[in-house]
Amino acid sequence: MEWFSDNIYLVRAMAAALCLAPLCSLLGVFVTARRMSFFSDTVAHSALAGVALGFWLGFSEPTIPMILFSLGVAVAILWLKETTALLTDTIMALLLSGSVAFGLLIRSQLKGFRAQFDAYLFGDIQAVSDEELIAAAVLSVGIGLCVFWKLNSLTLLSAQEDLAHVAGVNVQWLNYFFVGVLTVAVSVSIRLLGVMLVTALIIIPAAAARNVACSLRQQILFALAVGLISGVGGVSLTDRYDIPAGPTIVLTAIGVFAVTLVVARLRSRAGHASGREGRAS
Amino acid sequence: MDCPLCKHQPSGLPLAVEVNDLWLSFGQVPVLRGVSLKIPVGQLVALIGPNGSGKTTLLRCMLGLQQPDRGTSRLLGNGRLDQVLPRVGYVPQKLSLERSFMITVREFLALRLRQTRNWFWKSRTSVDSELVGHLPDIGVRGILDRPLSGLSGGQLQRVLIAFSLLGDPELLLLDEPTAGVDTPGEKSFYELIAQIHRERKLTVVLVSHDLSMVFRHASWVYALNGVVCCEGTPEHVMNAESLKQAYGIHVSPYHHHHHDPSVPGHSHGMV
Repeated sequence: MEWFSDNIYLVRAMAAALCLAPLCSLLGVFVTARRMSFFSDTVAHSALAGVALGFWLGFSEPTIPMILFSLGVAVAILWLKETTALLTDTIMALLLSGSVAFGLLIRSQLKGFRAQFDAYLFGDIQAVSDEELIAAAVLSVGIGLCVFWKLNSLTLLSAQEDLAHVAGVNVQWLNYFFVGVLTVAVSVSIRLLGVMLVTALIIIPAAAARNVACSLRQQILFALAVGLISGVGGVSLTDRYDIPAGPTIVLTAIGVFAVTLVVARLRSRAGHASGREGRAS
Repeated sequence: MDCPLCKHQPSGLPLAVEVNDLWLSFGQVPVLRGVSLKIPVGQLVALIGPNGSGKTTLLRCMLGLQQPDRGTSRLLGNGRLDQVLPRVGYVPQKLSLERSFMITVREFLALRLRQTRNWFWKSRTSVDSELVGHLPDIGVRGILDRPLSGLSGGQLQRVLIAFSLLGDPELLLLDEPTAGVDTPGEKSFYELIAQIHRERKLTVVLVSHDLSMVFRHASWVYALNGVVCCEGTPEHVMNAESLKQAYGIHVSPYHHHHHDPSVPGHSHGMV
């Protein structure tokens, strides 16, 4: 019990990793399929402006302004995509650099919050509060259930948008839904991983799972497993060696990715060898 | 613009597709300039025309994938797309699938099974037992375990057809279905479409640039170039003068590659 109270920050961080890592990994399977990596990076960076704005407005915990600002940027991306002839990449680069510049400008005006602000850049497991942990748990369960509830439509949408429309999926609604849940998941995960690295926890588990999976079901399950290993392993290493959380979690994920790459190569080589043997006999 | 040689389809039959005065511009470029057509049920109809003639756009407008500037379209006698789309199958030109998405043919087809509310929780055997009753024998059963992103162009088109047929459609719309398929594959593909049309007695509307296929299999042809330039039986529309109207240049379908006595006029021309 004494250990528990002495290490409460670690328990909170571990619980947050258990909630957020699988959520990011699950979304990552569809983010990579829909070429939305840059989108998640843009909303992550825009969250920085939300954090700065929150501190500047006097919030001691800027989670709500952070989520609202990211959602605003996500809506702006969709709106500009639909109403202008600009390429989506251009729109996102514009909003990413604009919101980072805006955030840094406000940061320069902050008095006394600069250390807390910088914690959002690289993640800080000691900074996870009870409120944030509860928010992460509720959002993870809620978003996870919503994604599984809409899994048929989301899968078809990721395969081909026009086919999804003809099969009766409300494509526009589902696009907004996915963008919304991704934005909220990214914003909430920033506390643990930091703005710079949150996209990594979305992309790397899905990519690692793809190396070894033979079906989409396997890819989802493996991505969840890689996310969990990276999150829990990363937080443990952070605590043991007193190193920053975000980079540790991401490097753990990259380590797992490297292992899956080796497994995939070995399997492919074994497949070729047995193919040659089959032909020879 | 009315072609003096045009023949119109017999009236009085129920219509599978009815398009009235459809207009659409992309910016300053008009793509559809008052397209009207009526396709009775049970036909295998081809929409032909040069690049940019509005064939794909017309198909997309029919399916509600593109909003026209004005004009209306009705499928299977119903103007409400949300009600009629479950009775329609669609085969897109291509599937721009990311290689990182590991969906298999089985998982993809399971999405179209009416009984499948969530493919993730369905076992492989239960999906297979449902597919057995519904999956047409078009060469897809042997590749159920393959990832969709690793299929050849021809295999992918067969999977897309199987997907659209799993919904038991009354109307099948295909958009340049042989783009990305090699020439022998193209031939067998069109034969497959014709066979499906005969066996299931459904209406098929096919966007194509392949005039030899149109000549062989279509029962009716619309030549499009922003408007319907000409319509009629394949023999009629393949008339060089009609094609000239549709394509704006002189083209002849009578480029002989080899003789096929089964085809009237034995033409095998490609535009």
